[in-house]
Amino acid sequence: MMHSSRLTRRSVIKGGLGLALASTALTTLGLPMPARAAGKKVIIGAFADGGLTPFKQKIIPLAKEKGFDIEFLEDEYGVTLEKWFADAQSGAGQYDLYLLDDPWVPQFGAANVLEDLGAGGIDGADKDWIGSMIDMGYWPPQQGPRVKGFENAKPTLICVPFVGDLQTLTYRNDVFTGGAPKTWDEVIAKGKEGVAAGKIKYPVVFRGVSGNPIVTSWYPIFLSFGGAFFDDKWNPIFNSAEGKASADFFVGTMKQNAPSGVVEFDSDQEGAAILGGDAGAIIQYSGNALKADDPAQTKVAGKLDFGVVPKQEKAIAQMGIFIAGVPKSAPNKANSIEFLKWYVSAEAQAKLSEAGSIPVKRSAFGIAKPGNRLIPVALQQLDAGALPRPRTPDWAKVEELLGIELNKALQAGSGGGAALDTAAKQVKDYLTTAGYY
Amino acid sequence: MQSGMQARKYRLQGAGLDLALPYLMLAPGLLIVLGVLIYPLWDGLRASTRAYRYGSPISNVGLQNYLHLWSDAQFLNSLWVTVKFVALSVSFEAVLGFALALFCLHEFRGIRLLRTVLIIPMVVTPVVVAIVFRLIYASDAGMLTALSAAMGGGAVQILGNPLNAFIGLVVLDVWEWTPLMFLILLAGLQSLPHEPFEAARVDGAGAWRVFADLTFPMMRPVLAVAIVLRTIDAFGTFDQVFVLTRGGPGEATRLISIYGYDTAFKFQQTGYAAALFVTIGLVVLALAFSAIRLLRRIDAS
Repeated sequence: MMHSSRLTRRSVIKGGLGLALASTALTTLGLPMPARAAGKKVIIGAFADGGLTPFKQKIIPLAKEKGFDIEFLEDEYGVTLEKWFADAQSGAGQYDLYLLDDPWVPQFGAANVLEDLGAGGIDGADKDWIGSMIDMGYWPPQQGPRVKGFENAKPTLICVPFVGDLQTLTYRNDVFTGGAPKTWDEVIAKGKEGVAAGKIKYPVVFRGVSGNPIVTSWYPIFLSFGGAFFDDKWNPIFNSAEGKASADFFVGTMKQNAPSGVVEFDSDQEGAAILGGDAGAIIQYSGNALKADDPAQTKVAGKLDFGVVPKQEKAIAQMGIFIAGVPKSAPNKANSIEFLKWYVSAEAQAKLSEAGSIPVKRSAFGIAKPGNRLIPVALQQLDAGALPRPRTPDWAKVEELLGIELNKALQAGSGGGAALDTAAKQVKDYLTTAGYY
Repeated sequence: MQSGMQARKYRLQGAGLDLALPYLMLAPGLLIVLGVLIYPLWDGLRASTRAYRYGSPISNVGLQNYLHLWSDAQFLNSLWVTVKFVALSVSFEAVLGFALALFCLHEFRGIRLLRTVLIIPMVVTPVVVAIVFRLIYASDAGMLTALSAAMGGGAVQILGNPLNAFIGLVVLDVWEWTPLMFLILLAGLQSLPHEPFEAARVDGAGAWRVFADLTFPMMRPVLAVAIVLRTIDAFGTFDQVFVLTRGGPGEATRLISIYGYDTAFKFQQTGYAAALFVTIGLVVLALAFSAIRLLRRIDAS
């Protein structure tokens, strides 16, 4: 008895091996997960943004009724690109569907890590798509300049538009009593009157943090001044006379009429300024705009209206749609493509519009009762003009270089034009190193 | 028959197993070290000599990535910001940590509680610390602005001003890591022999004389170790900056870790980022070796 219970080296090794084998077997065989048994599993990765609230609240339950078992994994915007790209490149297979920001499509496309959705049965030629939105799903792009290495490649549909987000104007109807201001001069002049009357504290608010936030805020002003970013050979031309005028206006006039700490403002602070009743007008995506009628989320419910972005030369907004791609490593690839087919159907798009989200099919804009006042305005903006950012996999770096220089000029409150010259040189140097020319 | 079986049993349980067992026991650990340390290091070195470009095959570029670093204004700026940050933070932490350790060396009522309270900052998760400091510094709804408003002042600009943001980051680091310095130095002070101090007092030496001639010289090796540890650690500071400023405004707080992260994961310049991190690793190693040599010299003297 004593002998049998003695701990020997052999018994330790045997026990260890047995334990290892047993755990391997258990891991391999596994027990069926309850979620897997519930329906067609689709793991969706998304970044946290108010623009997806209607989808989360109304469309996911609907998808469940259709037999999809949706697992919705949300992360902060600032970390999703690198996280998903690493997932796709390593083939880790943590997601079935990424809800990308559209400027990321070229990066994923060039790395060849997303499924061909056209081959999966999604019709990119359907006339009901908003043309400018479905165009963003192709890599290489069907129109415009192409980066080196992809000049002769056949455009493939690797993503489909998911939420048709774009910038529009949100303004205080008690300050701009004659309706949406048509020009930037009007925004500033009437905004100042609103400040003098004690209705608001600042005529405008925007994002000033370097990198993506400040470039996103400056871009519609740049477009409305008639600026263009690259020529068809990828030479930076954003430091044209129009571009410089827009940058000087942005870091000068706009800053003088915004909160004093706007240099450090990101979407949270700009949202708080407009929804808290401090700011008179803002160019923004739908995330905060969708909260405009909810007294629980704004102090000025009923006082916020939407309009097409103001113009100097043109009234062009920046598009920044949520766009869905299926990684080649997706564990439930067939389910996610089936889910997308259902999601872009006229029936589901109408439900999305009813839920208050901007749809991606034109027919859904025309439903009897869209769930939000922003939806018809978004269509007006699309028809007035809305442009995506340049289709290059190096956009993140370009945006970073430009964003740093714009942010420095914003700190100084002047020198926007000079900042664009510096950024243009840096961008040109970077693209030269990257083999663009 | 029985003796033959016994001999075989002896072979299996004794000499053979004795010879193999140490290696068998070491094998899992060695495999893990190979897998998580040696292979990534080798792979990183290999990656640092390559160029990865969308649409082009991976090419070998030799030392080009390393050479390009020294003409990259953004790299040089972030290196300079990091050196300033490390020098300032660690200096303040050493001085404050030493002062606190000297104060807490005395025994008085509540000293144990005070010692415990003083080390709390370093056990808080760095990301949480950064979020709290963001709530303090924010110009629109931050605590400093609220305090200023209560006293009739305007918004306090910390994160929107390059110099203030940099100082704000140093303050955060000093708040969080002075306790580590304090803890190491307190342990060092408590381990000093009592006799020289008693003799000095008998001879009528004042507090400053005792500090300058006894405490500081005897504490130099401990202080050097604490400074080396914190310097190496401060070079890798990432999470606080990532949450608090993301490197801005402009590039005022862009430490090398943030630039390297962006280069690798945001801009997908994998080979270049690998060269950057290898270079920084070598710089930190050089610092560590210099510090060790310095310690040896101190010991020798």
